[in-house]
Amino acid sequence: AAPASVRVLGQPVGSGAIQNDLEQPFFENFAERTGVNTQVRYSPVDTSGVSDAEGLRVLRNNLFGIVSLRLSQISGDEPTLLGFDLVGQNPTYEVARQNVDAYLPVADARLQERFNSKLLGVWPAGPQVIFCEPEINGLDDLRGKRVRVYDNILGNFMSGLGAAPVPLSFPETQQGIARGLVDCGVTGPSSANAAGWPEVTSYVYPLPVQMAMNGYAINLNVWNQYTEEEQAQLEAAFNELVDEIWAYSEELFEDASRCNTGGEPCVNGRAYSLTSMEVTEKDLQTVNEAVEATSLPNFIELCDRTNPSCSEDWKATVGANLGL
Amino acid sequence: MNGLIRIFSIIFGVIFFSLSFVVSLETLIRKLFNISLGGIDELSGYAVAVAAGLAFSVTLIQRAHIRIDIVTARLSKQKQAFLNWLASVSMAVLGVFCIWLAYGVLGDTVAYGSRAPTVWATPLVYPQAPWFLALLIFCLLSVYFAVQATRLLLRRDTEALNRDFGPRGAKEELREELEDIRHRDEEVVTP
Amino acid sequence: MTLAYVFLAFLVMLGMMLAGMPIAVAMVAIGVVGGLVTFGMPLVESMGSVIWASLNQSLLTAIPLFILLGELLLRGGIADRMFYALSIWMNRLPGGLLHTNIASSSLFAATSGSSVATAATIGTLALPTLEKRGYPMGPALGSLAAGGTLGILIPPSVNLLVFGSLANVSVGQLFLAGVIPGIALTMLFSLYLLISQWGKHYGGEEERISFADKLRASKSLVPPLVIFFIVMGSIYAGLATPTESAALGVVTAIFFVWYGGRLNLELLEAVCINSARTTGMVLLVIICALMLNVTVSLTGVAQTLTQWVVAFDLSVLALLLILIVFYILLGMFMDVMSMLVLTVPVAVPIVMAAGIDPIWFGIFIILMCEIGLITPPVGMNLYVVHGVRPSGGDFREVMWGAFPFVIILLLFTFLLIAFPDIALWLPRNMMG
Ligand code: NA
Ligand code: NA
Repeated sequence: AAPASVRVLGQPVGSGAIQNDLEQPFFENFAERTGVNTQVRYSPVDTSGVSDAEGLRVLRNNLFGIVSLRLSQISGDEPTLLGFDLVGQNPTYEVARQNVDAYLPVADARLQERFNSKLLGVWPAGPQVIFCEPEINGLDDLRGKRVRVYDNILGNFMSGLGAAPVPLSFPETQQGIARGLVDCGVTGPSSANAAGWPEVTSYVYPLPVQMAMNGYAINLNVWNQYTEEEQAQLEAAFNELVDEIWAYSEELFEDASRCNTGGEPCVNGRAYSLTSMEVTEKDLQTVNEAVEATSLPNFIELCDRTNPSCSEDWKATVGANLGL
Repeated sequence: MNGLIRIFSIIFGVIFFSLSFVVSLETLIRKLFNISLGGIDELSGYAVAVAAGLAFSVTLIQRAHIRIDIVTARLSKQKQAFLNWLASVSMAVLGVFCIWLAYGVLGDTVAYGSRAPTVWATPLVYPQAPWFLALLIFCLLSVYFAVQATRLLLRRDTEALNRDFGPRGAKEELREELEDIRHRDEEVVTP
Repeated sequence: MTLAYVFLAFLVMLGMMLAGMPIAVAMVAIGVVGGLVTFGMPLVESMGSVIWASLNQSLLTAIPLFILLGELLLRGGIADRMFYALSIWMNRLPGGLLHTNIASSSLFAATSGSSVATAATIGTLALPTLEKRGYPMGPALGSLAAGGTLGILIPPSVNLLVFGSLANVSVGQLFLAGVIPGIALTMLFSLYLLISQWGKHYGGEEERISFADKLRASKSLVPPLVIFFIVMGSIYAGLATPTESAALGVVTAIFFVWYGGRLNLELLEAVCINSARTTGMVLLVIICALMLNVTVSLTGVAQTLTQWVVAFDLSVLALLLILIVFYILLGMFMDVMSMLVLTVPVAVPIVMAAGIDPIWFGIFIILMCEIGLITPPVGMNLYVVHGVRPSGGDFREVMWGAFPFVIILLLFTFLLIAFPDIALWLPRNMMG
């Protein structure tokens, strides 16, 4: 029968509107939303006492029955998950959705096998773009600049452009830019808006390099306690939530992009007046080519060592989508 | 034991003195030449994780882990001795518990081939192995002391138990501080 | 998690501590038992990642570095020389050398993170002269004990670092927040001495020192001042993180020790051993507090307590008054590091729910720690100052000598409540 209660590890409280407007309400009204009679105890990861890099470990040992996985943070434990979001593979929401749908079964199989858990859905925080204090007119101008990055693949991409990648945690970055620790940072417009990046930068280059993927996964011991009918209900509910997030993410991205550059309407953020530089055709192409040129070889090296079929699976799904 | 204190402290010192130089260097050239070496944060995190285990051991040998002696100081010598034994055994339990936990972490890291989610993508087994080793030393020392304390308890040697396993206390701290000041006095203070 | 269980667990833990169990053990024991009862084995297993992840977090790197910095300055003789330089200038004021106690404690505090070292060093250097010149012992001992407490308020401060890492607030801002209260408190201490010692002059036989000699001796003030400005300046100007500023401080201190001709292997060994011991002591209680914190967070203890406190519908002032009483009581029986690690994870959510700024609360709690250091029966600085008296005497003399300073600390706390900007102005105006 359905477990009476399940603990859920959520996105950090400070991560913004998706956590606040969609994720938390979903889990707080879990029984209504799913039609399954389970009590949920929802803890955002930053109030839980565990680090977000531990997402898979606390899911496997069932400390949490459901975890809102932050894929780039947990990729150290399972590099296969990097395959959702190589630099350049997701230039638009549309392409990103196709890639996620294609790759989901691959990642799910891997989580079932290694972490005793099932992947219920994957969604993007939103396009990750470049914010800089010094003026940049394109990727070429990043040469010699220090750029805050959040994972290995992005770091290598930046190295490839001649920039110096500096790994900083998100909360440290705003101060880091203010102090000249770094010149630029890569993040989503709405996160940047919420964390006050526009106060310390002057330029934004809206070239989407990655999508910052996240996902919901459930421990299989918990999952198997549900009847088949309940499992179907759960899957439907999570699909609905994930669809909502995809749509909301795009909405937030556009709204925040307007807010950051002083555009109207600006509903969800604070108004700032960053200068947005025109994205050049050449840079779009660079990012597109980055998949094959830098991020795929990088991914193969990280991933195939622990999961021999990793890059083959990626090529058969996402690669095929992209026509590689 | 003094030899161990010296060895651990010297490793500890080497780690943090070199870290100071590297971090200072990085800060200066970052300011002056706009060049970032990168990865220093990651490196210093690993340094603390390893050095901490050694520091725990130094503190343990010198009986300086914090204990409150306000109540126990008023008890009879026998009761004090018993509580000192109990404290020593409980420290050993903590040591074993920590090493059990660390073993779990290291085991997962090896099983998953985990890497740091950083630019270097450092295989975590490299920093975690010395971290585990340092904690293991702490664990073995705490168990060794607990065995010694138990021997004394069985021999009903109250005096030795209170001497070797009592809290370090303010008096002892002060005595050492004063010795050092006297020592400095000879060379420094005479202007 | 019901309130009754929370209080029961707290009492059991306090009992274990009072029975002389190591603080670290008591915290983990309660964390493990609580975790097993509520969530079972998985919770206990996930404490392992705390030992790795929290040690391997760049914030904690600053703790050993600042401990190392303080040790270098102390064992390298820099602090001793500074005391002599200050004493030459101060003995003309009413209360004379007593001001030297406060001023040098404060300057010493600006380079060291420890109160015991501050009180022991200044006490040892000052007391023989004070006795010889017939100063009243009460104010002399009291000013030494109280001056020593400035070490944890004036940055760098290991206690503020510990608060920052447990409360998850910026250590750079905490350090800046400590500067003005530290200076203000130094001046209040001095003002009290000035008033209480008005018209009294001690020790006629003091030697006359030429102005040129005074200036020459003042060279010894340069190293501590330079180090303070490097450490705090780099944080204030936004050039460096606390860890980086600590590293710069250590390198500068090594330079000064070498320049003073004191750099040798024997000194370095003493510095390493003492730093390792203090670091081990501090980090173990922090790690264990964080392990307990996994249980506390997941079982919602902080929320339960916060809701309980909120239900009383107290005003901010009433809440703070209760906290003052609570901390004074706790500080009488507990050493300050234990007091910090034990209360911060639970107290911070409660005060934040009441709308209190966590940076401000950091300074508030450090003031409570300062009081704890000079209130009997457990008052580390009282013991230390008592212990360094050359001709011995009654412990009560130290106690009563320090008492006026407890009152000043309390008054200053009320001042801080009335004017929060005393702490918050500087961090708010931090450059960059
Ligand atoms: Na200090
Ligand atoms: Na006290």
